[in-house]
Amino acid sequence: MSHLIPSPFFWKVFPLLNNFCSLLIFLGLIPVSFAQDKKVPVETSIETNTQPNIDLLSQLPILASGDDELITEAITKLAKTGDTRLESFFELYRQGSVYNWPTEDGEIRIVVNLETVMDDDFNEFAPLLEPLTGKPFLVDGKQAKPDLLDLEDISPGRKLRSLVNSSKFLIRLFSPDYETRISGVKKCGDPPFMTEAMTSLQDISNDKEEEEKIRWTASESIALIGFGQKSEDFEGLTSRMDALEKLSLLNSLRALARIDGFEKDVEALENSEKINSKQSATLYKRISKVKKILESHKSSVELAGNLFRGLSYGSVLILIALGLAITFGLMGVINMAHGELVMIGAYATYEVQMYFGHSPENSVNEYYFFALPIAFIASAAVGLLMEKFVVRHLYNRPLESLLATWGVSLLLIQLVRLRYGDNIGVNAPTWARGGYEISQDVVLPFARLYLLALSAACVAFIYFIIRKTRKGMLIRATMQNRDMASSLGVRTRNVDRFTFALGSGIAGVAGYGWTIVGGVTPDMGTKLFIVDSFLVVVAGGVGELAGVLCSGLGIGVITKLIEPLEFGGFIIGPVWGKVILLALIVAFIQYKPAGLFAPKGRLGDKK
Amino acid sequence: MKNSDEKLIENKGSFGALLLIGFAVLPFLYGEGIFSIGDINMLGRYMSFAILALGLGLLWGYVGILSLCQFTFFCLGAYAMGMHLAHHGGPEGIIDANGWKIPACLFVVYPYDVGESSGDALVPGFWKPFWNLPLTLILGILIPGVTAFLLGYFVFRSRVRGVYFAILTQAIAVAGWLVFCRNDVMLCGTNGLTRFDVIAPSESFHTFNPVDAKDSWIASHGANMDYDLNGDEKLDQLDYSIADVGFSLSSERVQLWLYWITLSCLFGAYLLCRWIVKSRLGKVLLAIRDDEPTLHFFGYKPHIYKIFAFCIAAALAGLAGMLFVPQMKIVTPSNMEAYRSVLVVVWVAVGGRSSLGGAVLGALSVNLLYNFLTSEQDLLFFKWSPDYWPILLGLIFIAVVLYLPNGLIEIVNKLKKKFASSHLVTNSSQK
Repeated sequence: MSHLIPSPFFWKVFPLLNNFCSLLIFLGLIPVSFAQDKKVPVETSIETNTQPNIDLLSQLPILASGDDELITEAITKLAKTGDTRLESFFELYRQGSVYNWPTEDGEIRIVVNLETVMDDDFNEFAPLLEPLTGKPFLVDGKQAKPDLLDLEDISPGRKLRSLVNSSKFLIRLFSPDYETRISGVKKCGDPPFMTEAMTSLQDISNDKEEEEKIRWTASESIALIGFGQKSEDFEGLTSRMDALEKLSLLNSLRALARIDGFEKDVEALENSEKINSKQSATLYKRISKVKKILESHKSSVELAGNLFRGLSYGSVLILIALGLAITFGLMGVINMAHGELVMIGAYATYEVQMYFGHSPENSVNEYYFFALPIAFIASAAVGLLMEKFVVRHLYNRPLESLLATWGVSLLLIQLVRLRYGDNIGVNAPTWARGGYEISQDVVLPFARLYLLALSAACVAFIYFIIRKTRKGMLIRATMQNRDMASSLGVRTRNVDRFTFALGSGIAGVAGYGWTIVGGVTPDMGTKLFIVDSFLVVVAGGVGELAGVLCSGLGIGVITKLIEPLEFGGFIIGPVWGKVILLALIVAFIQYKPAGLFAPKGRLGDKK
Repeated sequence: MKNSDEKLIENKGSFGALLLIGFAVLPFLYGEGIFSIGDINMLGRYMSFAILALGLGLLWGYVGILSLCQFTFFCLGAYAMGMHLAHHGGPEGIIDANGWKIPACLFVVYPYDVGESSGDALVPGFWKPFWNLPLTLILGILIPGVTAFLLGYFVFRSRVRGVYFAILTQAIAVAGWLVFCRNDVMLCGTNGLTRFDVIAPSESFHTFNPVDAKDSWIASHGANMDYDLNGDEKLDQLDYSIADVGFSLSSERVQLWLYWITLSCLFGAYLLCRWIVKSRLGKVLLAIRDDEPTLHFFGYKPHIYKIFAFCIAAALAGLAGMLFVPQMKIVTPSNMEAYRSVLVVVWVAVGGRSSLGGAVLGALSVNLLYNFLTSEQDLLFFKWSPDYWPILLGLIFIAVVLYLPNGLIEIVNKLKKKFASSHLVTNSSQK
């Protein structure tokens, strides 16, 4: 059975995994390890937000002091705490919704009041809220509702208002949470440019203890602010140009989008004759240089992104085509309901999610770990039933099996639709949201990475079973010569059943993996996967795991590389990409009618 | 081989009966008022499906090629006819810079480039030949035929067989569907071609001039009525004046005629297929089905015969599409979805793929069943909901493949044989 998996190729790709258990553990541990990695920062950020910040509370009463200098100092101090709850508080303060409600002893209490209520005697009362949390301000267990006249208005003056407004953005710069901090740093570089943030940004970019990525973003934002200034003469333009050149050194893609605006500014100043043509020519020259650098960076980033998307799409294709290739290679059965087995895996994941009560607000990420075996078992069980009632009558009659299993797929789709309706939501576990930035601007989403790992693990799993276990040996024997195997005492019926269930189970795993990147509908199998994965089998050759691997990755990568191509304003896009891919495959089978890895010799003569 | 010949002869009788029912009984029932024109119309549509199934019956049953893109060819024909009807139908008045009327369905989803306004819309060049009916009829058969030839040439030459061919054709069906769904191929996207009013056989070559039509309309109705290019009510009246140049699709007489034409085409297609099957060519086709390598060994070039059969099936599908559209009055890309083409296979399999009559029987019976079961029915103790139809269809299909590989026609034949033999027995006993 050497033709099933050419060993030299596989030996290189997968290190030997010695026993079945370690593989299962490997499969199972992936979600857990991911979950733990990602959870840590989330938890810390929650803790800092819930702990009452002593420093913060001590600064608040100063707002009621009436002394502008003291208040300015307090606001600056407050902003530096980096507590994101202050964002909404500052906004309320600016609008004048923050009051002082002094106690009887004259102690200052800072409170928030949004609207007043009136009693029958037309006395206005103000229900109070806590300044930071926005919860009702409790006195003796009840929301305080003093007379409006008891409240002292402490709304800021014009000067203070603008300070508060800019501090609102600065808060994020000092947040202890990485994500919040980087988004704040990023935002400073967007219009309206936060010139007030300059010093803080400088500090951040020079801070040796700060994360590399944030320091980089800070210097990018500084340059962007410099680049975004208004300019009325040549000197202004030159300083902007210097900032732009700094940006080009940073390979800043955000600058690329704004170059056109800068060119327009230069043109406008030239037209109004504030700069002469010689000056503008030097500027244009420098601009085009920068543009070239940034565009080449952009295209390489896009290429890397497309390659990764191709790999990830290919990994989905492989995951689905694996099962197809096994059943077709072993039994000569084309399973059109394979896409529906994928769908069943996805719905099994959905059921597990419902059982665990996972939702975006209340995440129970463990469900994803349990969903893997359950999706496998659910699809394998349906596969077994299919084998028992339909497929076993159709061995080595591919055309008939194609038709009968199409009937099965129709049935399954409609049953699922009657049970679940047309659209359900599987919520990906929270760790799948972010991405891993391997190089500047190239972000690999965790979900896609997980899919890639899952796919690799499944290939290794199948490889292991077929090559390294007794069951696999029987499978190979039956595949090679059914009659001979049978006469030597192999129970070929059992082997068939096992193989079909295995292939179906892998399809279920594919559906399970798909839920973290795509939607789940009853007809997802037919609509999304089945044709493409059959093309993988056709191009790769039947019964060939290596063929499936190569053609799956090849088709995935080629598809994603073709799609963004552009000819004279015409972008190929997914539809024409598919047409071109099909033409490529038809052209390819002109040379290799039996696919990449065609079975040779007498096996090749089998229909 | 001999076996299938016998079956053919046996089926002649049942096909004759079908013709008798189609030509005489149904129009009679219609005349008596038992059938409405809607029923006749529906039957006409199903007969066009039968032509489509006949093509696949020839291809699959006799040459052993399972094509899963027959509905794509059907739609190529259907879109050809649809473009003709869209040219002559719909509210008039939107004239492009070249003096062509832009069909309403195209105008609605016209994919303007950035900066283009509705005044810049043009009737695309490939729409223009379809103004003319005879040209449309020729193109409607030629386009699917040529497409099939190109496809067959590349695929059969490289000896792609059996399941591989089926999978490839299914991929083609999906690709075709995706392409036709796009607005920028100027075939009205997912909305499809609509607003059909007349078949215009007398139009020779783009002689219709809406401005003239407006003048003549004003002349006959008085100039004091304001003629509004984008108005509604008055445009309906204008439609009637234009309808004079062709056959209005809303007239019952035209619908009945369309039914008869479809039936005749079905008969013609059947005769054509039978002739092919019975000729020496048919023997080669059967040989390809049964043992292609041996035939190849004898010095034949199987791919030429296969391409031929594929083209015939595609052309028949195109013809069916052209007959379908004026009776359906709309054509959308949803007909091109992959499952539709598998449906044709269901018809043929249910009817019986080893004979041409089976394909026709299957197409008609499955579609009539579909028509019955996609409405709510009270079946004895069970409330039938249209939602159950796909489940039943799936079960039928599984059952036919597993237990009735020769389809319904086998049952018919068995019954006939039983009847014949009992007849013989009584005859001999009488003697």
